[in-house]
Amino acid sequence: MMRPPLFLRLRFCGRRYRFGLWLPLFLIWPLFLVGALLLLPLVLLAALILLPFGWSLTVLMFGPLLLQLLCALRGLQVDVSDGKEQVYISFR
Amino acid sequence: MSENRRRVLDMLAEGKISVDEAERLLAAMGESTGEAEPSVARETSKDDRKYLRIVVEPDPDAGPGVEQHRVNVRVPMALIRAGMKFTSLIPSNATDQINDNLKRHGVDLDIRDIKLKDIEQLVDAMKDLEIDVQGGQEGKVKVYFE
Repeated sequence: MMRPPLFLRLRFCGRRYRFGLWLPLFLIWPLFLVGALLLLPLVLLAALILLPFGWSLTVLMFGPLLLQLLCALRGLQVDVSDGKEQVYISFR
Repeated sequence: MSENRRRVLDMLAEGKISVDEAERLLAAMGESTGEAEPSVARETSKDDRKYLRIVVEPDPDAGPGVEQHRVNVRVPMALIRAGMKFTSLIPSNATDQINDNLKRHGVDLDIRDIKLKDIEQLVDAMKDLEIDVQGGQEGKVKVYFE
């Protein structure tokens, strides 16, 4: 089973500024889960309403696919610099 | 050399099996026992590739006035896979519009025919991709899987 990223590390460096940030994503996931559970009845209702229009599958599958996408963010790393400024983003 | 491996080679020498069959059998044995031939080991390591890497390195010979761009991006294969799966969310009535637009631009493709299995195959096939570009002052661009 895939685990969601636990931390988001950000680092921005320039000539006049420099700061780094460790965002504890593991604190967000329980809230995300509660939010998803609360939204579940509404999603089911929306899927029922949108059934004749062919959008019900889209509505139903959006949640699981989004979760899969968020879990897959673990390991993503972006490091861009032009010699003067640097941006570093890393999901761990 | 294991007994199974010797038996396969004997069968090949006796002409009971073809070279392709022998290769497949040896590959399967290598996977099950972990004693893979070098070519098989390479195949396995190809499957182990987990990240798409995009690296842009500045040209070391470039002058001081040239901007030294440096890019290092690592994208997990799982993220590419998950992103591709989002195409399955396209509702049926929207696919007609997409197909019409594709046809107008000379692409005769019905995206309803693209199944999740095809996407998996596409992502797997991408693992062989390797791009290595050496430009002038821009430096070197490398796209590969690791």
